[in-house]
Amino acid sequence: MQIYDDYKDHADFLTIYIREAHPLDEWRMKSNEKDKDDVCYVQPKTLAQRVAIANDFTQRFKFPVPFGIDEMNNAANDAYAAWPERLYILDESGRISYKGGNGPFQYDPKEVRAWLAQRYGEVKHPEPAPEKKS
Amino acid sequence: MNRTLLWTAISFSGLVVLAYVGLSILAGGPKDAIEMLRFALPYMHRGKLKVGESAPDARLVALDGATRFHIRERNNGRPLVLVFGSFT
Repeated sequence: MQIYDDYKDHADFLTIYIREAHPLDEWRMKSNEKDKDDVCYVQPKTLAQRVAIANDFTQRFKFPVPFGIDEMNNAANDAYAAWPERLYILDESGRISYKGGNGPFQYDPKEVRAWLAQRYGEVKHPEPAPEKKS
Repeated sequence: MNRTLLWTAISFSGLVVLAYVGLSILAGGPKDAIEMLRFALPYMHRGKLKVGESAPDARLVALDGATRFHIRERNNGRPLVLVFGSFT
């Protein structure tokens, strides 16, 4: 997660794992099965199942961002209307400073980057070198 | 009268079919449209939170499955970026 690497010295980050969006027993997506990572799970019915999937995710992708798991009462999800994916920024005093739209169509990490860049400066990355034709 | 009712029924049916086709395109297929209506829409909300409001708190579980902590505990004098999502 490039934004995390770029701004972790200025802001804290917390990933919150909520109920699955496309489990096998609900709105199943063929793309998940075709995916080389084979991301196929049923909707967790217990906290232990949710914890197991979260650990699989963080280990598989060596995910560096601090991580929390929503409890089975979906309290965090309900409080933030987060499903299926959503971004927020809380300011230093605990107020909502940025509220992103519902994913996937309105999920836009670029807006979070812009918010952080406005405060802490833009972090530029070198353009990848064009591939040489053989 | 019967003619009016007939055309109303035909128009309504046409709109339903059009809506279903549109939803199928959006969701990825006819079966996906049904699953989207059944499993996604009940959980997808715009939410009532507004920028400037105090952020709600909730208790979370750490990856060890035992440790509990609150979102607000991570909001210590710096902005806190919350990234909600799942694996699938």
